[in-house]
This record gives sequence, C-alpha cells and structure tokens, in this order.
Amino acid sequence: MAIFNDINWAAIAPLLVIQGLLILIALIDWLKGKSTNGPRSMWLIFIIFLSMIGPILYFVIGRRQE
Amino acid sequence: MTILQVNQLTKIYNGHTAVHPLDFSFEANRCIALLGPNGAGKTTTLRMLAGLLAPTSGTIQFTGLNGGTDRRQWIGYLPQYPVFYDWMTGKEFLMHCGQLAFLSKAEADIRSEDLLKRMRLETARNKRISGYSGGMKQRLGIAQAIIHKPKLLLLDEPVSSLDPIGRREILTLLESLKKEMAILFSTHILTDAEEVSDELLLLDRGRLIEAGSMKKLRGKYQTTKIELAFQNDVAHYQEKLQNLPGILEVQINRDMLHVDATDISVARTVILQAAAKENWPLTSFVINRTSLEDMFVKVVDQHATMDHSIS
Amino acid sequence: MQQWIILFRKEIQENIRNFKWMWVPLVFILLAAMEPVTTYYMPTILKAAGGLPEGAVFEMPMPNPAEAIMMSLAQLSSLGVLVIALISMGTIAGERKSGVSELILVKPVSYFNYITAKWASYILLLLTSLLLALLASWYYVTLFFGSLTITHILGAFLFYGLWLSLIVTISIFYNAWISSQGAIAAATIGTVILISTVTSVFGTKLSWSPANISGHIHEMLITNAVPSALYGAAGLTILCIICLLIGTIFIFQTKYASRKSE
Repeated sequence: MAIFNDINWAAIAPLLVIQGLLILIALIDWLKGKSTNGPRSMWLIFIIFLSMIGPILYFVIGRRQE
Repeated sequence: MTILQVNQLTKIYNGHTAVHPLDFSFEANRCIALLGPNGAGKTTTLRMLAGLLAPTSGTIQFTGLNGGTDRRQWIGYLPQYPVFYDWMTGKEFLMHCGQLAFLSKAEADIRSEDLLKRMRLETARNKRISGYSGGMKQRLGIAQAIIHKPKLLLLDEPVSSLDPIGRREILTLLESLKKEMAILFSTHILTDAEEVSDELLLLDRGRLIEAGSMKKLRGKYQTTKIELAFQNDVAHYQEKLQNLPGILEVQINRDMLHVDATDISVARTVILQAAAKENWPLTSFVINRTSLEDMFVKVVDQHATMDHSIS
Repeated sequence: MQQWIILFRKEIQENIRNFKWMWVPLVFILLAAMEPVTTYYMPTILKAAGGLPEGAVFEMPMPNPAEAIMMSLAQLSSLGVLVIALISMGTIAGERKSGVSELILVKPVSYFNYITAKWASYILLLLTSLLLALLASWYYVTLFFGSLTITHILGAFLFYGLWLSLIVTISIFYNAWISSQGAIAAATIGTVILISTVTSVFGTKLSWSPANISGHIHEMLITNAVPSALYGAAGLTILCIICLLIGTIFIFQTKYASRKSE
C-alpha cells in the first residue's frame, strides 16, 4: 500500500486521537444518561459511524439536559 | 408591626384585567392564605409581590426598607412547580442561591447544612437534583426560598401537588416557619388555609372579595342550623316548628328537619321545651355549623350576584 | 462583583458537567486542523483511490502558509458558527422555558450580572477553543506548507476572536428576545449570513465591517503588518458587542418583567 507509506502517520496521530476522544466522551455520556431525545440506539449508531458530526449532533440535540 | 403595604396593585394583560386594584397589608410573623378558585389571580399577585412581574400600576412597600435596597433581598419565593438546575446537587443549589442573596460562602454553607437537616435532605445533599422525588424537590424548594432568611415567604400552591403525607409535612413546616417570618401562601383548598393561616384573603376573578381573620369571617358568614330527626313522619313537625317563635325556616332534607333561626341559643331552648312538653319522638338533635367550604361558596356566590346586578 | 463571580462560576461548572468544555474545543481543533491535512494529502488520496483516468494530469497547487491558515478560519466561519449558535441557543431561553430562572431571578440578582456572566462564560469557552484550534492548525501548516511566526497566529487569534465574540453576543441578544431555542439559533446564523452577504456585496465600501475581519487577517499574514482597516473593523466590532449587550440587558429587563404568568 503506497498510500500508507506516503502519509506521515506520526503527525496525523493526534488528530485521530482527538477524533477518538470525541467519540469516547459522547459514548460515556450516552452510557450514563438515562434517556435521549429520540431513540437511544439511534444515537449510538450516530456517535460511532458519523465521525465528527455524530458526537456533535448527540451533544446538541440528542443529549437530554438532566 | 406592619412589614408590607400593598396599594392599588393592578395587573392588566392585553386589555384583560388579571388583578383588580388590590389593597392589603402584612403583619410580621403572620401566616396569610391567599384563597381562590383557579384563575382567580393568585399566581399573578404572588409573582408581582416577588418582583418577577411588573405591576401595571400600584405600589408594594416594605416598611424599613430604604430606597436603595432590592426588595427581593427580603423575599423568599416558591413557585407552584419549582424547577432547579438538575445537574447540581441539593447542597450546591442551596449554596448557589444563598450566595446570590449575598451570604458569604461560610454563611451559605452553615445555612445550607442547617436547612438540609431541617428539610430531611441531609442524606441526599450530595446527590444530583435530577434524582430527587417530587416531595424532596418541594422541600428543597422551601429551603432555597428561606436560605437568606427573608422577612416574607411567598408560596404558590405549596401543598396541592403532594400526597397526604407530604402535605402534612409541609403544613407542619409552615407552622414552625411562622415564628421566623411572615408567610403568604396561595391555595384553592380551604382546609389547608384553615389549618395554618391566621388570616384569609379571598380572591375571585382578580378581585379581593373578602379579607380578615378566620374568626371574623366565621362570624360574618357562618350560619348555624339545627337538625332534627324523628321516629315517625317529619312533615307533621315541620309545621309545628314553623309556628314556634324565632324560627325562620324549616326544611325537610332526607327525613331530617333543618331549622334556621335568628338566634340559635334561643331556638334551642324553644324547640327543646316544645319537644319535652309534647313528648316528641326525637331521635337526634344536632346543632350544625356550616362548613368553611359552604362559606367559601357563599362568599363567591354573593360576589358573583353583586357583579351581575351591577352589569 | 461577588455575585457576578458566583453566576460566572455556575455557568462554567454547568458547561463542564454537560461536556461542552470537552467537546467544543475538540471539535474546533478538528475543524481547523483537518483542513491543512486533507489539502496536503488530497493528491495522495486521489491517486490511491485510482479515480483518475489514464493519462490525466493532476495538478493541485499547494497553498502558502497564510492561505492554509485562512482555510482553517474559513472552516470555523461556517461550521464553527453553527456550533456557537447551537451551544448558546438555550442559555437564557432554556432557563426561562424550564422555569429555573424564576428561582434565580427572585433572588436579588442584577440583570446585568445575570446576562454578562453568561456572555463571559461562552466567550471564554470559545476563545479557548479558538486558541487551541489555531495552534493545532499552525502545527500542521508549519509541517506541510511552511512557517508562520507565533505573532501571526496570536494576531489572527486576537482579531478573529473578536468576530466570534460578536457572534456569541448576537446569540445572547436573541436569547433575551426570543423564547424558542430553534428560532434563536436560526436568527443568529441568519444574522451572521446577512452581515457577511451585505459585506461581500458592498465589500470595498464597508471595509470596517466585522465580517471583513478575516479578509484583513489574511492581509496581515501576508504583509506582516496590521492594516489600518483591521483596527477599524476591530473597533467597530467591539462597539457592536457593547451596544448589543446593553440592548440585551434592556430587552431582558422589560421582557422579563412583563411576562405573562402561566
């Protein structure tokens, strides 16, 4: 895989970590919260598969201010 | 000592008068019930007193409050459905409220702990308010209202949403708070008002239709009836009673006779003498005072007819 | 002052507990840093994807450092503004809708303190996020496209921070005025789009417009000097912020006091 060698992974790593962190925070909150606006399982899918947009949508719309 | 004087307090919303010019005053350490059916203007009145709603006209004056001081410093308020910052713990919320009312951090801490204990919330003090039950929230609501030791505590329907045990708890609490501050609470349930309040303000469709102590109101509106029951047909005695001196009216109500008289003590003597002389087969002789509920209906009705005849 | 600090601390605490202090900086960093990275690797990605027909010549000019930083700011100007509108849309309106403001405002709380403490807490959150985002972007720009001094970055932060502060202020203003949170977010974004559109139509005549700040920043990065129009735009932005805050407090006071009881 040429692309794999072309990319400076050490430099990109922090971005991947941040992306992962964002998903992780959303997941932790999703686990702790009792209810969400809209189906809970839908938010799990959003958080995991929509990259950055998923967690943002979850925090802004899905998360119920308890 | 009068602590609060309300003059011609009025609220008009888009041409609809929610509160007609209202005058009343408050004595220190009195508990007053603001009584009235739903939509009578109780909440509007309380919110104006609390400073949450600007009156259309009229004044609210605390005695001894100099011009520059905010009236809200002396007021504690609990809305009908209190909402908190659910993400805070009970203790944090009390601290927050106390410090907003200019208590120092140390003062707020002492006062919060004291109130948590008094409201039986000490075990929940470090739990998020989102996990509190309705009764716990109501008690926390009272705690936040009195955290800064106000001179006047305003409570909007403090017991109407509670179960009988919670209700009893709050009423007992009000009884003890009376020693520390004046209390004005709204309710549409007369027995609650009767239980703890010294005075009543009766509100109907935005008008103050009656005010005064329980005793005074009783004297004014309460009528007394004598109820009689007989072994045999009561109709026979209706006429006899009607002819006795001082008797106003005798009605038959489910095999009983209801006797209205100008003076009950005179009527009692007259009726018992007649009964003894003629040997009436009496099975029951009861002197019955009309309930407060009846009194309430009567006052509101009277007011409504007056309204009608004017318009 | 003590009361202001109490209110401010509550706002910060609330936004820590609801994770805003975590996710907003992270999202800003991602928005700003992704731009230089994807731009730099775009040819590699396209080549690997094999999307190019045989013999097609693919030329993608690489931006200079100033242009690269501006791409990051452009991301913040679009998606960043959306995030600002969404996180601040309920700060007053939400408290009023839930009714918790009744318990707070019945305490002797000054309306000035109540509003400015909220405002300041969001300004602090967004400026922190912006600073982190610009530093991240700076790192990748330097790595891929060439160097820029820290002075450049701090200059961009300072002036672009004013533009973001204005957007926060607009949102707070609508918060005092409108009760629906969705409408507040829409009005905030609408107003920003309006300012930007009007500015781009009458661009040269409105060189002091707050929406021209990013254009002037670009100039500053190239010329190594702060253009006078940037000072003008910054001054006008500060003036707008102050006026809007005064308006907010005024509206809140009259609106709150005349609210019909439910």
